[in-house]
Amino acid sequence: MNVPIHRLRAGVLLVLAAAACLVAGREFVAMWQPDVLRPSGGLTRMGRLSQYCASLGGSRADATVYVYESGVPGATMLVLGGTHPNEPAGFLAATVLVENVVMTAGRLIVSPQACADGFTSTDPLEGVPGHFSVSTPHGNRVFRFGARAANVVDQWPDPLVYLQYPSGQQLSGNETRNLNRAYPGRPDGTTTERTAYAIMQLIEKERVTLAVDLHEAAPEIPIINALITHDKGREIAAGAVLNLEIEGLQYALELSPPNFRGLSHREWGDRTEAIPFLMETSNPIQGRLRGRTSEELILKGEDALYLKAARLGTVRITYDDAGEPLARRVGRHLQGLRAIIESFREQHPESPFTCTGMPGYAELLERGVGAYLR
Amino acid sequence: MKTVRVGLCIGFLLAACQVGHAQKAVRFEQPILITSAGQSADVTLAGSLCKKVNLDAKAVAQAAVADLKGVKTLILVPGFSSKGLGAAGTSREQEMERVKTIIEGAKERKIPVLVLHIGGKSRRGTQSDDFNRIAAEAARHLMVVKQGDEDGFFTKIAGEKNIRIDVVDKIASVMTPLEAAFK
Repeated sequence: MNVPIHRLRAGVLLVLAAAACLVAGREFVAMWQPDVLRPSGGLTRMGRLSQYCASLGGSRADATVYVYESGVPGATMLVLGGTHPNEPAGFLAATVLVENVVMTAGRLIVSPQACADGFTSTDPLEGVPGHFSVSTPHGNRVFRFGARAANVVDQWPDPLVYLQYPSGQQLSGNETRNLNRAYPGRPDGTTTERTAYAIMQLIEKERVTLAVDLHEAAPEIPIINALITHDKGREIAAGAVLNLEIEGLQYALELSPPNFRGLSHREWGDRTEAIPFLMETSNPIQGRLRGRTSEELILKGEDALYLKAARLGTVRITYDDAGEPLARRVGRHLQGLRAIIESFREQHPESPFTCTGMPGYAELLERGVGAYLR
Repeated sequence: MKTVRVGLCIGFLLAACQVGHAQKAVRFEQPILITSAGQSADVTLAGSLCKKVNLDAKAVAQAAVADLKGVKTLILVPGFSSKGLGAAGTSREQEMERVKTIIEGAKERKIPVLVLHIGGKSRRGTQSDDFNRIAAEAARHLMVVKQGDEDGFFTKIAGEKNIRIDVVDKIASVMTPLEAAFK
């Protein structure tokens, strides 16, 4: 039987297209598998955000919440990682806490993947890897590298203009899926608004004293290696910046602008008793100047084009051949947390908060992130 | 020949006096008003530093001329922050005007200005340097954290205007010259 050549070509192309779809589909579906975290022996309770907003139950946005109680009265600290799932230092710093912390006074609540839904996809057209692995003494640990915001599959379509609730502030449409523009959220809103609402409820119901949101940003962004706070956290933040400096880490202190709504440091501060902080490290894979976008860029933060930019004076950090490795960024976040706690303790001795298993910057640089993953 | 020698000696003495003037410590007095030039939150840090060395200081991020009443030293903390401007509800232009006005007010009242640039690289660059320059040029004494002077920006102004300058490694190291300036 003679098959016309055009049909043969079409058949081959169909098979190739199906193979490509299969490979891409497997990668796509692989991101639906949750990351495995191994909590320390100090964990006393595990829950989900749906305990604070029932409508999140059963959805991919229902993030896990880890609670570490000492049994000794004191302050409660909330640490959020993964508000933006493409900022791995925040997620991993929170994970290091989950896997190591034992409280001795007060209470720690950690949600390492606050925007859990955003971990199920990557940002289109960015060419970023969906996963990255961290070497540990017990073998490699693989984690997802997600998108900046919630998955479009779960929140579609984006409006042309995002009207922030309840302020009415106008932002670009895709910001409707950005958790850090959605506070205080609402129980019957979009997936992102419900996530924000659950976090607000958690802060209130758990009577959180200090709430910290861990982020990263591109090296060319003015606010990196920075500690941002609400006006009520000004004194604690100033003390923390001085404490960080003693460790050789320079941080810019920034105040939350009251007219920019929806941000954690603004809405948590205005609407709850918690004193909010947001920390930013510098992450080259998020930058517009970056070259090859790979897993190695996540881990080592080495980029020839950023090096060139640094030499031209267009980045805000000291960027050299050593890059901006993940260990340094995670170390900065953990040292930042320690500095905030220390400053809080100095100013509020009546409200103790102490723990073990919170490594600092020097330890992370010396031993790497993997040494603190179980 | 003798005239030339005498001339050279006079010239040398004048130059020596000039250098001496540049290096001469200015003694500042309390109470102190601390204000920002650019609305960075470094003004809070400056307040913490003053507190740590037991100085009678009040930090008012958006201080006006009226706040200079009874004040014997004005500490300016330069550095631009877009978040800070947002927090203060002001624009860059309005902030620049405020800074110029308070510097003028201090000058009229013969209140010496001490400048603390403690934000390092984050408080340098196009947006910050207008504030850095205007503050530095009004200062009797500059205290600068090294990272903010890697290109010699402040050292150059200090040299040109005969302003005493202390360049320190860290923010916490500012405490030593700060305490000494009020002794």
